[in-house]
Amino acid sequence: MTARSTLVGLVAGREIGVKLRDKGFLASTAVFVVIIVAAIVVPALIAGGTPEYRVAATADAREVAETAAVLGASESPGVPAAEITVVDAADPAAALDDPEVDAAVSLDGDTVVITGRDGVDGDLEALVGAASSTLAVQRAAAEAGLDAGQVAALTSPEPPRVDLLEPRPDQPVPPQLLVVIFGFLFYFTVLTFGMAIAQSVVEEKSSRVVEILVAALPVRWLLAGKVLGNTLMALGQVVLIVGAGLLGARLIGEGEIVSQALSVSGWFLAFFLVGFLMLACLWAVAGSLAARIEDLQSTTLYMQIAVMAPFFTAVFLQDEGPARVALSYIPLTAPLLMPARVATGDAAAWEPWVALALVVLTAVVLVVVGARLYAGSVLNTAKRMPVTAAWRAGRGR
Amino acid sequence: MTTDLSIRSLTHSFGDRRALDGVSFDVRPGRLTGFVGANGAGKTTTMRAIVGVLAPDAGDITLGGEPMTLERRRRIGYMPEERGLYPNMRIDHQLVYLARILGVPKDEARLRAADLLEGLDLADRAAEPLHTLSLGNQQRVQVAAALIHEPDLLILDEPFSGLDPLAMDALAARLRERAEAGVPVLFSSHQLDMVERLCDDLVVIHEGQVVAAGSAADLREQRAGRRYRIAVSGHPDWDPGAPGMTPVGAESGAVLVDLDEAVDPQALLAAAQADGAVTHFSRAVPSLAELFSEVTR
Repeated sequence: MTARSTLVGLVAGREIGVKLRDKGFLASTAVFVVIIVAAIVVPALIAGGTPEYRVAATADAREVAETAAVLGASESPGVPAAEITVVDAADPAAALDDPEVDAAVSLDGDTVVITGRDGVDGDLEALVGAASSTLAVQRAAAEAGLDAGQVAALTSPEPPRVDLLEPRPDQPVPPQLLVVIFGFLFYFTVLTFGMAIAQSVVEEKSSRVVEILVAALPVRWLLAGKVLGNTLMALGQVVLIVGAGLLGARLIGEGEIVSQALSVSGWFLAFFLVGFLMLACLWAVAGSLAARIEDLQSTTLYMQIAVMAPFFTAVFLQDEGPARVALSYIPLTAPLLMPARVATGDAAAWEPWVALALVVLTAVVLVVVGARLYAGSVLNTAKRMPVTAAWRAGRGR
Repeated sequence: MTTDLSIRSLTHSFGDRRALDGVSFDVRPGRLTGFVGANGAGKTTTMRAIVGVLAPDAGDITLGGEPMTLERRRRIGYMPEERGLYPNMRIDHQLVYLARILGVPKDEARLRAADLLEGLDLADRAAEPLHTLSLGNQQRVQVAAALIHEPDLLILDEPFSGLDPLAMDALAARLRERAEAGVPVLFSSHQLDMVERLCDDLVVIHEGQVVAAGSAADLREQRAGRRYRIAVSGHPDWDPGAPGMTPVGAESGAVLVDLDEAVDPQALLAAAQADGAVTHFSRAVPSLAELFSEVTR
């Protein structure tokens, strides 16, 4: 007698093989990987480094431009960072004929004039403005007879010290963004593989191959193989996409993003796994209640809602409150909301363990219920079956 | 393994409708058993109960005197009434998959799938998905799927439907070969002439009850009664003209005569010889079609 694990493994292997040969699935996975990598790499490339400006200055305005360059390089709080190169110019308008030059600085009496083409970058304008007022203060201080130390205290006062009661860990990515990314990824993956389970079941029903399979192995082993195969694929896809994102972040040198994402992805993945298993058997039931592939639209409706609800609550309920706390313990929404609360630092250390236990318990109940409904309906190939009839027919199978 | 499949008092209802009502019969090893009955008579329900797809309300199914466990059921080659294989899966892949599900090691499964496809003239299409094949060829693949694990028992629901005459002969030869290897073979069919030609044993089911079961020759003999076919040279409409000998019709140069209980068949022969040369004299054994319409009346 072939062992149960071997048979379940064979069924799971076929499910995986079918998915790996499915061009649509491979294409969508590739697209997702590209999107994730692009989402991490492209902003980093665009925002990469400090902005560079080439500023032409007339002789009288040269001091202003050079002070702006010093301020841009100083990285002091409240002043934008920029790398400013100052070149000489006789006429501000003529200087702009050089396409390399971003703006020209000149003086009109005491007023500093910035000449641009169709606009002047806000950072540059702020720097020039700050330089102009710094110089004005220095001049006024010198006239008042203050010494160098007093002038420095006036123009570059010591920045305020920041004391934190509960310092937040250094987070290069807003945790809310991580929640949205994980939420969307899980939503996409659960829907893909949930539908894959339902489709695989209904394909076996509508092609009648299920009768041969059920004659050869117990119904529940068949179900276990399907769920196992698709769970492995779902987990594999999530790990692949998250891994690609992290690898992308590492390659562009954003090590902080990697460590931040890694620190929360453990809970996200743990909840994803049990959350997927919790619903997997019900996806199979949605397939086995249908007689033809066309019936799936209606039989999977509640399942689609069951996947959508946690996604939208996790995305829209970003602020800690009683509703968010409650939903992070309700098994349907917990798989996204509890790790989300962990990511935003709102959950105590024990909380995810309790929520995880609740989800596991619910998963056990739903697997038992789902297996009975599946056993009761999978051989009914004639027409769509009501849940109650499937429940009765599943007794003792 | 040469053992009898025994069905005893199988009873099953679908809601209020009693589909099987105390069905009992045997399928003997080394013999082809034909399972005939009108639509809805209970053939498919019986076969589904044997392979374990349906749990009957009552009754026993044993193989060699032992109850049907999962392990024994996995040694059945089963062809369901509604054909079933994966439409989008490569033919060779699904044969190997089913073989492995049925416990055949991987390499062995590959060899057998290749052999069976070769034997069915489908070797060149092994890498194609099933749905690209004609219905007749899909049917052949289905036959291969039932034979892939060299089963100890064959349960085939309408295996001949949809096959062309050549494919029918090929399948018949294959079933005969399995039977001769000692495997009990039960198959249902609507094609009574095919069953008549092929079967050693017969089970006739009618409205959920077995109305006739046993050796095909015995059954027909039992029901032959006292009707004789006799051909007298030069007298196509010969009439014995004697008491207790009633002509009931003529067919292809011979006449059919019913004899009363008291009349000796030899008296009929003697009467015929007195009128001319007797070229044919036999007991008229009913055809399966006649037998079928009689027992299901």
